[in-house]
Amino acid sequence: MSRLAGIPVVDAVNYPLNCWYVAATSDEVGRGLVSRTVLGQPVLFYRLRSGAVAALEDRCPHRSLPLSYGTLSDDEVICGYHGMAFGPDGRCVRVPSQQNVPYGARARSFPVRDEPPFVWIWMGHPATSTLSDPPALPWLRDADWATFGETLLVEANYLLLHENALDLTHFPHVHPGLSPSPYLGTPPRLEIEVTETTVSYYRDFSPSPLVDWQARTTGLPRDRDYAQRESGEFISPGLHVDRMHVFAAGDGAGSYDKILTRAFTPLGPRRTIVYWQVSRNYLTSQPQVSDQLRDVHHATLTADKRLLEAIQARADGLGADEEFNVSADVAGLRAHRIIEDMLAAERGWHPCVTEEEPCEPKSGLSGPVQRA
Amino acid sequence: MSGDAVYREHEGDLVVVRRETVATDVVALTLADPAGGTLPGWTPGAHIDVVLDEGLTRQYSLCGALRDRTSFRIGVLRAPDSSGGSRFVHDALKEGSQLRVRGPRNHFALVEAPRYIFVAGGIGITPLLPMIESVQQRGVPWTLAYGGRQRASMAFLAELARHGGRVRVWPQDEEGLLDLPAILGDPRPDTLVYCCGPEQLLAAVESQCAVWPPGALHVERFAPKPAEPAAAADSPFELVLQRSGITTVVPADQTILEVVERAGISLLSSCRVGTCGTCEQEVIAGDIDHRDSVLTSEDREAGEYMMICVSRCRSERLVLDL
Repeated sequence: MSRLAGIPVVDAVNYPLNCWYVAATSDEVGRGLVSRTVLGQPVLFYRLRSGAVAALEDRCPHRSLPLSYGTLSDDEVICGYHGMAFGPDGRCVRVPSQQNVPYGARARSFPVRDEPPFVWIWMGHPATSTLSDPPALPWLRDADWATFGETLLVEANYLLLHENALDLTHFPHVHPGLSPSPYLGTPPRLEIEVTETTVSYYRDFSPSPLVDWQARTTGLPRDRDYAQRESGEFISPGLHVDRMHVFAAGDGAGSYDKILTRAFTPLGPRRTIVYWQVSRNYLTSQPQVSDQLRDVHHATLTADKRLLEAIQARADGLGADEEFNVSADVAGLRAHRIIEDMLAAERGWHPCVTEEEPCEPKSGLSGPVQRA
Repeated sequence: MSGDAVYREHEGDLVVVRRETVATDVVALTLADPAGGTLPGWTPGAHIDVVLDEGLTRQYSLCGALRDRTSFRIGVLRAPDSSGGSRFVHDALKEGSQLRVRGPRNHFALVEAPRYIFVAGGIGITPLLPMIESVQQRGVPWTLAYGGRQRASMAFLAELARHGGRVRVWPQDEEGLLDLPAILGDPRPDTLVYCCGPEQLLAAVESQCAVWPPGALHVERFAPKPAEPAAAADSPFELVLQRSGITTVVPADQTILEVVERAGISLLSSCRVGTCGTCEQEVIAGDIDHRDSVLTSEDREAGEYMMICVSRCRSERLVLDL
């Protein structure tokens, strides 16, 4: 059977390290110690007096007590066990029981970027973080857009979330009452576009009436037909963005745009946190529209969460080896391939030196992402 | 739901924002979105298609800064035997000219290793520049041997100068051909060799690396590898497209790509001569007759992927994950 025929999601450490992931929302990190798990590693976050964010491994390098058990003093973390002090770069700056600090005493630190509403972290080689920036998401900070967000914990591998986000064909089956009405007729052609690092898609719906939630949240008259465009993009292993455009030409309002930004951050092989944000460029000063949109997204995201957790549980029990693919899976499979290439590059080169040491697989989903 | 989907690579109309002569017969073009938008991300070794005219597509490696998300830089040599691509770039493209770009894509990816040897011949330096930026940032030891006809024809020497002794510039009129045995040294299990340049250089490096561990050498070709003489005439075979649930036949005088396209499957392809790697497909079953210039001998032995624009099948039945 084909290597890509199933999703390697069982006990799979299948996430690239050399990528920016969202570790927290900016308002979660203040002048206190916040501990988070990111890609299976405990990380301590805090905000410096300058306003910048620091991220250290949440473990005292002396006797391994989580540093989050300690306190913050100025810009230093004081361990709750022996009072040793660590600077924002992780360097140990004070050992209360002796005059000097041992050479090389330091906690691991991670590159972070605070770009509200998200705090991004780079868990790979620290120096390589300077070769890329977190994806620009200008609408999240643009005054012409209204944005709200929440987090959602999903007990499933992050690849299942990407596949779900890249697969539009499940929508009318899982969310029948919420699907745009054109889904119910002949589906429009799906246009999929790829680059080396991204997969995006869009489809144009011919004019049709809005479904209930769309009419309520846009305030557009129900007795008219509206053309719509739906699009989405796998931007990185840590980010997916969906857009819905309702074209209200004739009302002088142009396009009613809604953007669902989802950061997927693996906490471990079978647990993912979703930082989701909903932005709109219409009725931006009406909080009740935010409440209505919040309800709609709660409904879809929780329904998907329920399914993905059930899929993960079944895959844990039976494996996913015997899954098959259909044509509509092409976007998900492409994202898979992008991630596979990133993992292969990170796994590095393992030549077969002797007959006794057989060759490591050179590429592909074998190795760290092999199914159990 | 119907399976009505169109699958393609990103294309965009970019504008030449900077044109510099960086060596004799070599121009560097910096391309950007006319609206100032962000361009797709890429990694070292990536290339783009420049669609110069209907049916005239050329591949150029990206050689700009990795972090720059608003422009692409390419280096273009005016090839004396040019079939029109490089001549068009040199003669017709000015600052402000618009051109269509497809991609990026990457079949020359930089794999992490403890040590690297880079070997460039002439304009083959381009994909190695971002690789050098990346490994230098990672703090991994590397060397570059850069050969060219004469110093004046070798591009990007000024920006390579900051790496000092790691870079060995080797103009042929001063020092002869690259001394590959000395450059490559004894095979080392911790070292990857990345090479890009003219066919003679690639062939020489391939032969020199034959005793290196399999997988140690990575090369990129911009022109098809010289074809090996066919042992026999091509024969037809059955083609099974697993995901789509379609079975058909590939006649002796048609390619797999042509047959798949005729079956109404939307898939990616670009050069159609086996050099760009765009039409790569996963093979589920079949004895593949590889004829491309992208896959390494290890890839070929593994038999997991094939380039369907040129490669064929020796067995009676080929099953693709399509």
